Amino acid sequence: MGESDQAAIRAILSGDKEAYGALVVRHSQSLFRVAFRITGNEADADEVVQEAFLRGYRQLESFQLRSSFGTWIYRIAVHCALDRIGSRKVEDPGRIAPGTDSDPMDLPLADEAAGPERLLLSREIGEMQENAMHSLTPIERTAFVLRHMEDLTTEEIASALSIAPNAAKQAVFRAVQKLRLRLAALRVNV
Amino acid sequence: MKHLSEEELIEHHYGEGNSGAARHLEVCTQCAEAYAALGHDLAQLQALETPARNALYGEQVWHSLASSLPAYAMRRRRWPRVGLWKAVDYAAVCALLVLGAFLAGRQWQQKKSPLSAARNDSQSRQHVVLVVLGDHLDRSERLLVELKHVDASSSDTLSPMREEAMNLLASNRECLQSAAQIDDPVLAKSLDQLGRVLAELVNEPGGVSGSTITRLHNEMNTDGLLFEIRVLRSRVPDRQPGGVIQSNGGTI
Repeated sequence: MGESDQAAIRAILSGDKEAYGALVVRHSQSLFRVAFRITGNEADADEVVQEAFLRGYRQLESFQLRSSFGTWIYRIAVHCALDRIGSRKVEDPGRIAPGTDSDPMDLPLADEAAGPERLLLSREIGEMQENAMHSLTPIERTAFVLRHMEDLTTEEIASALSIAPNAAKQAVFRAVQKLRLRLAALRVNV
Repeated sequence: MKHLSEEELIEHHYGEGNSGAARHLEVCTQCAEAYAALGHDLAQLQALETPARNALYGEQVWHSLASSLPAYAMRRRRWPRVGLWKAVDYAAVCALLVLGAFLAGRQWQQKKSPLSAARNDSQSRQHVVLVVLGDHLDRSERLLVELKHVDASSSDTLSPMREEAMNLLASNRECLQSAAQIDDPVLAKSLDQLGRVLAELVNEPGGVSGSTITRLHNEMNTDGLLFEIRVLRSRVPDRQPGGVIQSNGGTI
């Protein structure tokens, strides 16, 4: 952990609340990135960032100064994002898994056109990817994002999600299998 | 030839497979094709472009949070109490050990000489009380002397003083109970005042400072308390090298 993070945490625990501002400023962007990748939603990602820093502040007394604050708060953010997509699924099943009932073969066909049509196609592909991501369970989605997009190892994913390494590995496998199945149409038609 | 499973291919793709998978892919066309297809699919699954957040994003997050976060200073009065309870726990454990040793000794004495058991019981109890009280008054006297001559600008001396006050506060309670048991109001009154001074040192928000010490001198007359403690200490009999208690008289 950077000396500056360590010094800030000592100051906070000594009563200097404003010192937490420096940590928030320093780590907000990375938390927003992972929160957005997991939730797939800008507003949710903003709320995850705030909630993560709030939880972090409340649990700061339990933080081990030998550890990295960045890693610690990152894990809290992952948990917050996981909670959010989990609750979203309960509140609005249709929102988390749009298009899950559609046949992959109903996906729009692509051609080799360039220009605006190609851009439109790219956007459609992006939407299909996002729909495919929404078909995953919260754990599968989070594990896949951490593995595929955040380049975390299986051990790191397991630690971030508080699950066994083998469970983390299986979650990534299941996610990849489901995504490949849903995106099979792209492989054939694009 | 045993082909690689999809799980093994995925594991290998993310660099966590064993070297056997790599060797197999070099010689097995079927698995190599499956692996290439997997790589192609995963390459399509790129991360969504993260919406840009301006350089002031962190500041905005902080401003939205700051008002709802209580300062840790507001909770600090809890911490010495936690430390205090820990000290009380230690004191209780020590008291139990002393009591256990005392009871074991009494059992042994009863077997050895039942007639002298009552006399020994009383002597042992008095011995323990006097040793503990003498030690407590010694340490309290040292703390009050330090308080009188401390360099208020040095945190190196103020911090250990606070820790010692925390320990003394726990043993002061024990001694107060002893003073009540032996019905010594003079001792009880002085220990009560000592307890208040110690509590002020322990619970002072932000730690002991020069202004704290000045206030204690003026409001709680710590010099007068030091004199009282010295007088009380002189009444407590010292243990002689042979373990014999020699009383100087007085109510103790």
